Amino acid sequence: MDFAKSDIQAMLLDSADRLLSENADVEYWRHQRSSALGFDEARWAQFAELGWLALPVPEAAGGLDGTMEDIALLNIALGKALATEPYVSTVVLADHVFKQAADEARALELLGEIAGGTLRVALAHQENGAHPLDVEVTGTQARPSGDGYILSGAKIMALDAPGAGQLIVSARIEGEEGIGLFLVPADASGLSARSYALIDGTRASDIVLADVKLPSAALLIGGNRGSAVLREAIDRASIALMAQAVGAMEAANKICGAYVQERKQFGAAIGSFQAIQHIMADNFVAAHQARSMLYHALANADQDEARRSAALSAARLVVGEAGQTVSRNGIQVHGGYGLTDEYAIGHYFRRLMCIEKQYGDLIQHGERFGNSIFG
Amino acid sequence: MELRLDPDLQTFRTEVRAFIDSVLPADMKERQRRKVANNAAVPDLLEWMRILNAHGRSVPHWPVEFGGCGWTPMQLFIFNEELYKADAPEFDWGGTHMLGPVLYTYGSDYLKDRFLPMIREGATMWAQGFSEPGSGSDLASLRTSAELVGDKYIVNGQKIWTSGAAHADWGFFLVRTDKTVKPQRGISFLIIKMDTPGITVRQIPQINGEAHLCEVFLDNVEVPADQLIGEPGMGWTYAKFLLEHERTTSSFIYWSKRELARAKDIALGESVGGRRVADDPAFRARFAKAEADLLALEWSVLRVLAHEELDEPEAAAASVLKIRGSELQQEITMLQVDAMGAKSLRFFDAAPVPPPAPTDVWPDYAPGRTTVALINRAATIYGGSKQIQKNILARLAFGL
Repeated sequence: MDFAKSDIQAMLLDSADRLLSENADVEYWRHQRSSALGFDEARWAQFAELGWLALPVPEAAGGLDGTMEDIALLNIALGKALATEPYVSTVVLADHVFKQAADEARALELLGEIAGGTLRVALAHQENGAHPLDVEVTGTQARPSGDGYILSGAKIMALDAPGAGQLIVSARIEGEEGIGLFLVPADASGLSARSYALIDGTRASDIVLADVKLPSAALLIGGNRGSAVLREAIDRASIALMAQAVGAMEAANKICGAYVQERKQFGAAIGSFQAIQHIMADNFVAAHQARSMLYHALANADQDEARRSAALSAARLVVGEAGQTVSRNGIQVHGGYGLTDEYAIGHYFRRLMCIEKQYGDLIQHGERFGNSIFG
Repeated sequence: MELRLDPDLQTFRTEVRAFIDSVLPADMKERQRRKVANNAAVPDLLEWMRILNAHGRSVPHWPVEFGGCGWTPMQLFIFNEELYKADAPEFDWGGTHMLGPVLYTYGSDYLKDRFLPMIREGATMWAQGFSEPGSGSDLASLRTSAELVGDKYIVNGQKIWTSGAAHADWGFFLVRTDKTVKPQRGISFLIIKMDTPGITVRQIPQINGEAHLCEVFLDNVEVPADQLIGEPGMGWTYAKFLLEHERTTSSFIYWSKRELARAKDIALGESVGGRRVADDPAFRARFAKAEADLLALEWSVLRVLAHEELDEPEAAAASVLKIRGSELQQEITMLQVDAMGAKSLRFFDAAPVPPPAPTDVWPDYAPGRTTVALINRAATIYGGSKQIQKNILARLAFGL
């Protein structure tokens, strides 16, 4: 166990600092929000140049073979800057699925395209009313047909799908156990997407699959292995999102700390009042505990599924509640300004709320962790 | 950053677990497990120190030259965790964790030679005389005076909340030796024998039936001048060192882990309307949150032990540990109490050892839980109240 950053990690954070800090402000976020995809494709290309998109890719495929710790540290930086790029969907989630794909040659090709910045991928798994942590339950069907499959079903809130060239779609294969993970081009015939923005400016799509014809090679992973890999991929996405939440909380705390020293009422900085000081202390405690739980999730990321998912859900519980504390208190100390789109704290508030509810919310993670304790 | 646990530590854990198992007397362990009182009985506490000392492990965290084990912070963490898990009596914290480090850091050779072995060998119980009736959170305003007359200090004043003073052989006191300077500069750190003429101890009856906390009255108490630690007027600095030295102790992480496991046993053992308390969704959600919060606290302790580099001073993290540690002690004891519902209201006298024999209705986990939960309201008050910790945090983390 070592908390100190390795040379590679220090370099990674240094590059993150240089690229992201110049655009970590309200003006930039509002500009991106009104753009077509909610993020800047030119900056995505810079992510590729800096090697960030190759971070989890094996060296054999020209990647950096980075650890989950490396990915988390980069995501802390992305969270601080409220980056809206689809890093988690594409680099964390899709990479993990591709790395487990049956066809290794095809997988290396896909990983290479992601690393180069030419391919973005989104997961289309969630269905209306389905439990986000119970990946086995899906109403989407894959019918074997000739030398391939025909997919039909409806997915909702596929995060980052509007900017993705390929989708990973989960479906039950007729006559088989478990679920299959299919790679489906976003422009496949029979696939229609209704896209929208989330409150943090990122994008998602509701997707209808009406007899989408796929070649057999579209099946990346089948059967029980499909469910296990999807659970792993979602847990990894959760870790990266928690890292972003930690970065967002720490940045929000710094912003609030500066604000309460600058804002004067009754002839004094409001930060000189004990009521405000104790709110700030609560926020510091919350962010500190959140970072500790990110470490707990990381330390257990490669354990067997029971331990991994228990640690992850425990972490999501603490990080989610900490995010609420920091962002809600953050708005409170800003008074009315906290409710405007022109102050940063409201942007952090919305981002933290999004992270809290993606890939399982507080109730679902609390329930899963509780079940791990008592059976 | 690489966060997986070092596999060598598992070997160390196995070794210390076997060690504790081999030296902890079964009857002592049983008394400790079933005790109603919040504090261990003095004879067991001292006997356990003597046993550990016979194996060179009574003060593992001290420098090797004074009897420490030379372990890494992670090894110390594991040793402590295993002691609690095994229901070993606690350390006499006043001697081993508070006075000891001050003595070997600032004490004269005479004081080190005289007192360090006494602490290490479990020969004495120690009392801490800091707070006064008028000086709680505002400790620097303390008024108990020590006037140098010849080669003696004449001490007059009153201390309060002095844990275990009625059973202590010795005490370490903060006293005012100079009234002409800024309050913090006029305080000295004095070792006083508790049976010195002029000392009167009154045990204070507590809301849980115990009387562990005491008032200490000092009336013209004569103390040899060479029992003053370090320099006169430096007592405040030493006291701050003492409180900061054992930053992670205030988290009570080992205690809370053991007690959360006991809360789980209670929730599995108690039923309401044919349903285990553990299966009540509201209880389960609360328990899950407490366990998750405790994991967060544990990692926060590990981060402090490893001196993780942060933007804020390390003392900020120490306040986090105190705040969360004390809140969690309270939440965990209340989980134990709430899992027993109205049954938790039965009063168990803390004195008899062992407590009443267990029955189906009153299993052996029942006596003691409420006794401890009641006095545990103290956790967010002593050692710098939660509000004082928040003041400190606002200053250290945000410059407020």
